[in-house]
Amino acid sequence: MINAFLEAFVDLQGWLLAHLLEPVLLAMGLGSYVEMAFDGIEFFLCGVLQISAAFLLLRPLEALRPIEVWPDRRAVRVDVLYSFLDRLGIIPLLVFALLAPLLTSVDSWLRFNDIIPPQLEDLLPGLEARPMLSFLLYLLILDFAEYWRHRLSHTLRWWWALHAVHHSQRQMTLWTDSRNHLLDDLIGGFWFAVIALLVGVPPGHFIGLLIVVKTIENLSHVNARLSFGRFGELLLVSPRYHRWHHAIELPSGRPYRFGCNFAILFPIWDQLFGTQYRGQEMPPSGIRHGPLPESAAQSGFWEQQWDGLRALAATFLPSRPPAVSAFPSPHQPAAGSAGDDHHY
Amino acid sequence: MSLPTPRRPIAAALLLMLLLCSNSTAHAALAIALNSADGTLSMINSDTYQVTGKASVCKEPHHLMPTPDEQSLIVACAASNQLVFFDPLSGQEQKRIRNISDPYQLGYSPNRKWFVATSLRLDRVDLYDPVDFRLVARLPAPKTPSHMAFDDASEFVFVTLQDSNEVMAINLATRKVAWVMPVAATPAGIVMSPDNRYLLVACMGDGVVEVIDWRTQKSVKKVATGKAAHNLQPKGDRRHFYVSNRTVDGSISLLDTQTMTVVERYEVPGGPDDMIVRADGKELWVTARFARKVQVLDLVSKKLKLSIPVGSSPHGVFFVNHAGLR
Repeated sequence: MINAFLEAFVDLQGWLLAHLLEPVLLAMGLGSYVEMAFDGIEFFLCGVLQISAAFLLLRPLEALRPIEVWPDRRAVRVDVLYSFLDRLGIIPLLVFALLAPLLTSVDSWLRFNDIIPPQLEDLLPGLEARPMLSFLLYLLILDFAEYWRHRLSHTLRWWWALHAVHHSQRQMTLWTDSRNHLLDDLIGGFWFAVIALLVGVPPGHFIGLLIVVKTIENLSHVNARLSFGRFGELLLVSPRYHRWHHAIELPSGRPYRFGCNFAILFPIWDQLFGTQYRGQEMPPSGIRHGPLPESAAQSGFWEQQWDGLRALAATFLPSRPPAVSAFPSPHQPAAGSAGDDHHY
Repeated sequence: MSLPTPRRPIAAALLLMLLLCSNSTAHAALAIALNSADGTLSMINSDTYQVTGKASVCKEPHHLMPTPDEQSLIVACAASNQLVFFDPLSGQEQKRIRNISDPYQLGYSPNRKWFVATSLRLDRVDLYDPVDFRLVARLPAPKTPSHMAFDDASEFVFVTLQDSNEVMAINLATRKVAWVMPVAATPAGIVMSPDNRYLLVACMGDGVVEVIDWRTQKSVKKVATGKAAHNLQPKGDRRHFYVSNRTVDGSISLLDTQTMTVVERYEVPGGPDDMIVRADGKELWVTARFARKVQVLDLVSKKLKLSIPVGSSPHGVFFVNHAGLR
């Protein structure tokens, strides 16, 4: 069964390469990129499978056990567009095209200076013969890095201006996961690539790692009354757990000044670094008094991208008018960090 | 049942011989295919064509080659910065050499004084001392240095530069670039002709094998072989080379180096890439990059005999019982 599926998958991958990309690449003198195109098609097909699985499994869940019911779901449509651009490889391709030459130059420079970036396997040689253990370890490391990327995107004022696009959605659904400003995606891609370079993530693990992360992220944004229970939420981020991260009204207190529940997969990071909030309710999502106009909750793709850029520019301009905090805090943010106008 | 005492040593010796024979037969039949995307080796019984096992090796292994004495098979682990040595008879790992920066394609000079590794991703060619794998020279080689060939005297190593459409010659005595010359689009595989006169360069972009007089650096001929001509493998008769035309539809051409013409062509789908020929000349095994298979071409009937499922992006296959490599 699995072999038959795999064979059909590879046949389709080959057929798409033969009929769509290979002739074009060869005609353009880009024969070197045929292998990359083959991998790209794998990414695309995995994206199709993921979107299909998310729609078939999670959408019924949203219909059966919705947290919120909206008479008008038009605001969700833009998130579907984001999901297709992200999962089918358009945005990742853009990020890759922009970052790959830079990272290759850095890596090349290191080698010419006799520096070979150390890898996890240099410390733990046994990993080389244990692909599953290696996969889990890299997943853990990358999730740890993602926790800090995510937390910083809430803490640094300029980064929050971009990341607010993700949080501006007040009709949070399984599609909201991919709703990001393109610059935010680019920075996220850079972060991921640098970590991957530093610890030596096996190229063969990339697609598998992305599938695991994206699947859990789909699930964690779902508009469905679903939790993994008190114990389960210590192990894996659930929709309830992540909904508190998107809550329009965050819990009060210094630990949650810039948000709570930043973990992507494993809540342990929030627990370790004091940003965990274990609310039992399913709060409404969105931002209030944030860096974006109120219309961002309803606007289209380009408008959101433009709003994000304007908000980013505003963070570098002096004398901003004082904003009203939704959650007045006695603590002042550090210089360069997001102001107390930070939503949530 | 217990044997009478005098017969026991004889029976034991016979049993031992039987075991040794069966063991060596199994070993002699081993074929090893390398799966780049999986980071694994597939072990195949070349008599039964059954996959007998899979071993994790490293991150993104690209290409394998035997040591000159064929006591070891070296796997170039690009993303792991390692060379991993295997016993080609048993498939057992022998040793790992770390801190070999991003090895992609490997080669020993015919005089065995140099071990050369190209780094396709990082635009570089490294020259190592093959005794202790100490780095002797590191040369910039933009762009995307891919395959390599040597002249018989081991004076030069010739490297294809895939994305700048060139061939680079490095003088091994001075460890300096001797010359760079333009060739057809996207050169990949490169071999020296058996008479040491010409370099044969498989150029994917133009679907040709370009014949180069390396002493004068002149292009002599372009032989159309098929779309995406990628790699060359000697037939073992010091005259013919198989050329893999690496498209999904795929084919393999037989090039006669005396007439510099294609004399035969076989359909081999799946992106045929690296090849090896049986010692008896009856089969050609080739990794199909885009099909997760090793294809076995029957050279007698000139038809695809069967496909062996292996891992993702297979990029090299080897067995000891192979035809000559020149």
